[in-house]
Amino acid sequence: MYGRKACQLVKEFVSSDSGQLIVFNNDLFAQVIEECDGHLLQLQALLRKMQVEGSDNQTTKNADHFGALVHHLSLVRNKRCLMAYVHNRAEVIQNLGWTIERVLPEEIEEKLSSSEKEYFKNHSATLQSYMSDLDLDLAVDMVPPKDPYIKVRVLEEIGNVVLSDQLANLALHAILFLRRTDAEQYISQVFL
Amino acid sequence: MAQYYDIDDILADEELVPAVFLEAINGVGLFESNDTNRVEPRSKVELPFWLARELHLRQAASVSMPPCFNKKTREEIGADGAHVDLRTRCSYFYELGCKIVQLIGDKTIGSLLLVAFQTRYKEVLIKAHTAASALTPKFLSLLTKEEIKLYDAAKSSTAAFRNWRMGGPRFQKASVLGRKRKPIGEKNMHFCLPALWRIGYRLGCS
Repeated sequence: MYGRKACQLVKEFVSSDSGQLIVFNNDLFAQVIEECDGHLLQLQALLRKMQVEGSDNQTTKNADHFGALVHHLSLVRNKRCLMAYVHNRAEVIQNLGWTIERVLPEEIEEKLSSSEKEYFKNHSATLQSYMSDLDLDLAVDMVPPKDPYIKVRVLEEIGNVVLSDQLANLALHAILFLRRTDAEQYISQVFL
Repeated sequence: MAQYYDIDDILADEELVPAVFLEAINGVGLFESNDTNRVEPRSKVELPFWLARELHLRQAASVSMPPCFNKKTREEIGADGAHVDLRTRCSYFYELGCKIVQLIGDKTIGSLLLVAFQTRYKEVLIKAHTAASALTPKFLSLLTKEEIKLYDAAKSSTAAFRNWRMGGPRFQKASVLGRKRKPIGEKNMHFCLPALWRIGYRLGCS
C-alpha cells in the first residue's frame, strides 16, 4: 500500500517519549524518497500517455487520469510525512538548544543526522549571539525563583571564597544562605 | 495549513476505511495481488483515509462506514461506553469520526461520538484521580490516543495537587540541575478542578 513506509517513519517518532529523540532513520527515510521517485516516474509516464492520446488532463476523467491522481496524492502524502518527521525532530532539537550548552552530549549527537547537527549548531549559535547582545543569560531560571537566596549545605571542603555579596567560608557540612546565582555554579559541580 | 505537521492528524489519516471504486484506475500497484496494475470499477478495498477522502471527493471511489462505527460498537457504547475497547477498533476513534462525517452524511455519528466521549471522559478522570497505577494497565489498553493524553494530563494534575497540599517539596531543586525537566503545561491546570470538587465532596463541604 502506498504511503505505508512514510507512516512508519512518523510512528517511529511517536514511539519515542516526548522531548526525547531516537536515532534518525536514514534507511527508511531514503526508502520513502525512493518511493517518491517511483511515484513521480509513474505520474509522468501516465501524463505523457495522456498527451500522446491527445486528451486534456483537466477535462477527461479516464482511468489514466485517476491513476495519475493516485500517484499525485501519494506524493503529497509522503511529502507531508517526511516534512512532519523532520519538523518535529527539529523542534526537539531547538528545545535542546535552550536546555543544554553549546556542545551536545555524545549520546544525543549520535542520534542526529548530519543536517540536524548543523541545525543545532547554528541554532544554538544564534541563541548565544542573541544572549550576548542582550548581555543576559536567558536560559537561566526558566521558572522564576521564589527567593533570590537559597539554603545550601557544603558537600566538599572548598574554603573561603569571595561571592558577589559576601565573603563565605565554604567549610565541609556548613549550612549557608547564599545567593542563588552564586550557589548554582558550585551546585552543578556537586560541591554544594 | 495549521495542522500540516500535526503527527496525530497524520496518523489519524492512516486509518483504513472501506471503499468501493467507481472508476477504473490505470498504472497503480495498490494491491500486491494483481499484476495488471489496474483497478477495476466496483472493486471493494480498504484504503487509508488520506487516499479515500480525495478519491471520494473526486467521485472516483465511494467511502462507506468504517467497521469501528458499526451497529455492534454503537450498541456496546450505548450499554457501557466506558469499557468498550476502542483502541483495537480504531485508536483515532474521535478524529476519524469527525473526518468521516464530512464525507458520509450520517448525522448519527456526531451523537455517537458525544455519548462515547461523555461516558468515557468521566471514567478516565475518575481512574486517573483515584486508582493506583498498578491497577490501570488493563484499563489503559482500552483507551484511544486522545483519551490516553487526557489520562496523563489528569494524572499529572493529581500529582501536582498532592504536591501542593503537602506544601511543596522540602528541598528545592537547583535550577541548573532541574533544567532538563519540562515545565508542566498550563492546560493541565484545568484538571485540578474536578479533583478539588471531589475532595470537597468527601469532606462533606460541597
